[in-house]
Amino acid sequence: MTTFIRPRLRKPAGIAVAGVLFAAAWLVRGGPLWWVSILAVIMTAVRVIRLYQMGAKDTDEGALAGSRADERQKLLSLQSRALACNFAAVAAFGGLTAAIALDAGWWWPFLVILVVGGFGYLLGLSNYGASEDVEQN
Amino acid sequence: MTSKGTFTFMRNQVREQRTQQGLSQAELAAALGVSRQTVISIESGRYLPSLPLAFTIARFFGLTVDKMFDPDEEADT
Repeated sequence: MTTFIRPRLRKPAGIAVAGVLFAAAWLVRGGPLWWVSILAVIMTAVRVIRLYQMGAKDTDEGALAGSRADERQKLLSLQSRALACNFAAVAAFGGLTAAIALDAGWWWPFLVILVVGGFGYLLGLSNYGASEDVEQN
Repeated sequence: MTSKGTFTFMRNQVREQRTQQGLSQAELAAALGVSRQTVISIESGRYLPSLPLAFTIARFFGLTVDKMFDPDEEADT
């Protein structure tokens, strides 16, 4: 589907969709905090505009924002995302451990993050060829 | 070369060949289909290109890959 969208618009469009969904969630929730949805729309609009502007810059960040990254820039992005996932896993583990120690009821979201992350890692190993060494002569 | 036998830095002829042909980094990047930043990283030896890109670079300058990239010498850092 993304091939129908101009490269420079792909990331901003993704952020826009995510932001609208987040704002809609606050609106559907209702209550006195409905105004957070307006704040979310404003922040999303600012982020989308900044991302679109960044996409025109002649930098690594600009190439990634504009979806025109070459192999080195894609590798940079991949390494950064791997680092971010490691941070998220450590944070989730810390949260789970703290929730267990405090006998709190909010332990399960951390477990879900760890399980989904672990599943994603195993799926990656399977998809990207960790078992290719089975063909031996 | 690292102690594990894999290369982290490698001297290459990209800068020399580019300047010989009177090309700017931006012009070479456009010809190779990569960013100017990537050309800079390759020239300084901070980035080792993939095999397809290494072949593209070598063919662009009319050299072989092993003439273009010298695994026996570490790049100046």
